[in-house]
Amino acid sequence: MTAANPTETAAGSVPEATDRNVSTGPAARARLLSGVPPTLLIGVAAAVVLAVMPLLLDEFRLGLLTRYLCYAIVAVGIAVAWGRGGMLTLGHGVFFGLGAYAMAAHMTLAAAPDGALPEFMVWNGIGSLPLLWQPFRSLAFTLAAVVVLPGAVAALLGWAVFRRRVRGAYFAILNQALAAAFAILLIGQQHLTGGSSGLTNLPVLAGVDLSTGAARTGLYFAVAGFLLAVWAAYTRLMDSRYGSLLVAVRDSEERVRFLGYDPTWVKASAYTLSAVAAGVAGALFVPATGIITPALVGVIPSIQLVLMAALGGRHSLTGAAIGAVALGTAETAFSESFAGGWLYLQGALFVAVIALAPRGLAGFAESLASRLPSVRRSR
Amino acid sequence: MNALLTVSGLTVSFGSFTALDGVDLAVEERELRFLIGPNGAGKTTLIDVVTGRTRPTSGTVRFDGADTTGLAEHRTVRSGIGRTFQTAAVFDALTVADNVDLAASFRLAPHRLLRRRDRADVPEALERVGMADLAERKAGGLSHGQRQWLEIAMLLAQRPRLLLLDEPVAGMSAAERERTGELLEEIAQDTTVLVVEHDMEFLRRHARTVTVLHEGRVLTEGTLEEVRADERVAEVYLGRSAAEDGPEAGPTSGPAAEKETADA
Ligand SMILES: Nc1ncnc2c1ncn2[C@@H]1O[C@H](COP(=O)(O)OP(=O)(O)OP(=O)(O)O)[C@@H](O)[C@H]1O
Ligand SMILES: [Mg+2]
Repeated sequence: MTAANPTETAAGSVPEATDRNVSTGPAARARLLSGVPPTLLIGVAAAVVLAVMPLLLDEFRLGLLTRYLCYAIVAVGIAVAWGRGGMLTLGHGVFFGLGAYAMAAHMTLAAAPDGALPEFMVWNGIGSLPLLWQPFRSLAFTLAAVVVLPGAVAALLGWAVFRRRVRGAYFAILNQALAAAFAILLIGQQHLTGGSSGLTNLPVLAGVDLSTGAARTGLYFAVAGFLLAVWAAYTRLMDSRYGSLLVAVRDSEERVRFLGYDPTWVKASAYTLSAVAAGVAGALFVPATGIITPALVGVIPSIQLVLMAALGGRHSLTGAAIGAVALGTAETAFSESFAGGWLYLQGALFVAVIALAPRGLAGFAESLASRLPSVRRSR
Repeated sequence: MNALLTVSGLTVSFGSFTALDGVDLAVEERELRFLIGPNGAGKTTLIDVVTGRTRPTSGTVRFDGADTTGLAEHRTVRSGIGRTFQTAAVFDALTVADNVDLAASFRLAPHRLLRRRDRADVPEALERVGMADLAERKAGGLSHGQRQWLEIAMLLAQRPRLLLLDEPVAGMSAAERERTGELLEEIAQDTTVLVVEHDMEFLRRHARTVTVLHEGRVLTEGTLEEVRADERVAEVYLGRSAAEDGPEAGPTSGPAAEKETADA
């Protein structure tokens, strides 16, 4: 990703900062900020808000927010694959899970007194560390695996599937089936994965005790930092020619072929980027929450992840991230007062968003902004 | 001169229906060839085969000396063949300039796709179709004629050696047809063009060589006068509703005038 050339910025981003409505508040503010790319404004504003949160929230709430921000990273990826690329990725729990289980394997080994087997393996009657687990002793390997594992699975799957021109509902169902199979596999391979209770008891990472307040705040900042980085990188990418190509593939794959591009790699790469974001988020989720189980990566969470992006606005990377935080907050608030009803409410919310507001919160914000003439240019 | 495009013995069957039945066709370099024929004659199917969209049941397509039969769509484009669709296909969600930019960039290395627009040839191509001032508009808001021109601008930016246009003036106003005709002549100066078009007035003005397709076969081929003098052609068109969209045997009037009023 290169710097935009100056004429491009002038033409593309600020075409109509006008002198209309000079006296009114929003217009005057918009004028003050004209010339600054809107994405930069959003990024700075988000960074400021995220930075002050530890001052406003107690440790418990900050922990919850850390968790939502992990989901926000996934949602940004879903906005790329689904919102921009038209691929309804109903199985992102798999990629989230690959990142999470890789990290959890490493942390499980790090927690065991040197050389000892993880406790759940002893319970399962395993004599020595399985081959699959051995490389996860290395933190470096684990960090690489967190990106490469979900990326490689998505790339291979995407290539095979998109080459055969599988799309739409078939693709969504395929993803959903993948998530179901993944959860079943995790439960079935109890001696390797801890079965349905998953991997817990993960107190240290890179020699740091994660139970201290300082460590929890540090984790929060790490997750917030990753979110901003992934958001900025993917937003920049969507602004490029590749971003246009992805939208073109979404709207008319066939026409793109007749422009001389192979849609297969365009879709497979966007799917892969999306999976990588989910993998990174999963790897951050584990130290932040201290647990990973099949129930956190299966069919239901996969649907919830998509719902987050839908609620925020799937076409907007910013909207999707906000949707994740909003849905998480709503779930917590609702569950605290009416335990058990959340799943139904969530289902109703999904139907309502799809039927009434397919562009989500970002869509509302955009139509609001378009009524204020001077702020129209923001995405 | 060597033929740029050679189609031999091309047969396409959809189930028991034969859309093309042993078609032979050769288009020379720099030629402006018109392809006419009643509805369902197989004109679009022929373009589809040449551009890899439809696989022939038998027969071969040779382009620029190489066998391109059954090549994937994007590979035919990369070999230098461009096409338009009967209904203009542009990307509504993108700006006019981005549409052309994408078209122009198909040979770029992947890392250059990560950049934003930076091409000089985009304004150039838009200038050629007279749409420079619409560059930043979303393509979804264009009129029918503008969409057709945008599609042509996209093709121009790709610099193909062979251009296949499927009914480029269908549904256009008289003024738009005029402009499209000028554009066509201009393009034909340095590009080989095959145009599918029914519009009689348009044919009269721009056609040099005409190939008539009927029920999947080449009925005849020649200058417009020769073709119009051919009784079989008249029969084919009169057999159906000649008044709608076919050339008549008579040298005057033609259905074009009627079509224009019908469209207006
Ligand atoms: N994919 C397909 N499956 C089945 N039949 C097809 C298919 N594509 C085209 N046909 C049939 O093949 C015949 C030729 O179609 P084609 O579109 O090539 O005609 P055309 O000459 O372009 O006609 P028009 O002037 O209406 O555009 C038609 O009868 C059409 O119904
Ligand atoms: Mg046709």
